[in-house]
Amino acid sequence: MNVPSEHLLYLAAGLFAIGVLGFLIRRNVIVVLMCIELMLNAANLTFLAASRQHSTAQAANLDGPVFAIFVILVAACEAAVGLALIIALFRLKQSVEADSLSEMKG
Amino acid sequence: MAEILFYVLSALALLTGFGVVLAKSPMMSILSLLGSFFCLAVIYLLAGFQFLAAAQILVYAGAILVLFLFVIMLLNLGDMGVVAERSNSFLDSTAARLGAALAVGLGVIGLVAASKAAFQPAQAEPGKALDGLEAIALQLFGRYSLAFEAASILLLATMVAVIALAKRQRKSGQNPTQNGGRA
Repeated sequence: MNVPSEHLLYLAAGLFAIGVLGFLIRRNVIVVLMCIELMLNAANLTFLAASRQHSTAQAANLDGPVFAIFVILVAACEAAVGLALIIALFRLKQSVEADSLSEMKG
Repeated sequence: MAEILFYVLSALALLTGFGVVLAKSPMMSILSLLGSFFCLAVIYLLAGFQFLAAAQILVYAGAILVLFLFVIMLLNLGDMGVVAERSNSFLDSTAARLGAALAVGLGVIGLVAASKAAFQPAQAEPGKALDGLEAIALQLFGRYSLAFEAASILLLATMVAVIALAKRQRKSGQNPTQNGGRA
């Protein structure tokens, strides 16, 4: 594939922007978590684009893939804890809307 | 060929990303996200990251999205999410509904394209992977061994946290049944 690495970065930026948009406008907490996953994927793509840019034909740069593996691990942990919190929230409020959490509003 | 496939898959990934944001029901969001992850996996494959493409499909599509799906089905949110966001007029138009349907359709097309394209780069240029599994393992257990151990501690902490969250709910289990019909 002869696509320049900048185009991978453009795609990552677009995905990250979509994730931020969803994070800001959606009120369903599960969809907000999904948007976080989308943003983490964009970060992964950025790591891989940088690794591809700095690889030569002789020696591949492996920092990007290793960091992407760690990002995937953190994403899995974050999804597990976030979904456990959502289940606890649903049992407390019978709702997963972010607007239903207003106890600490001043 | 590979370049055209890359740009088509990029557009599909962005469209299904919009589908995640604009879909009305969480189930549609999940399906869009699945399409986006598959498009990204094929992009990884085209860029030469074969192991990362496999990890993307196995861990993201196979484990994390199934976890989301479990929670949505466990909480029976398929319709509730739609009812609760009814007041949001921004998402309550037929255009948004059509967009969600279009995004899901494009996601399915992306899946088909992904499954068709998945084996082409490996055949076309064998051994051209930027992330050889052996080299990654050497990095992971050599230079990044401290981060690797920290990752294991993170996994353990996550497990303990999830168990603690679930257990505390069981102790006060009679409250939700008393005022359960509030939804």
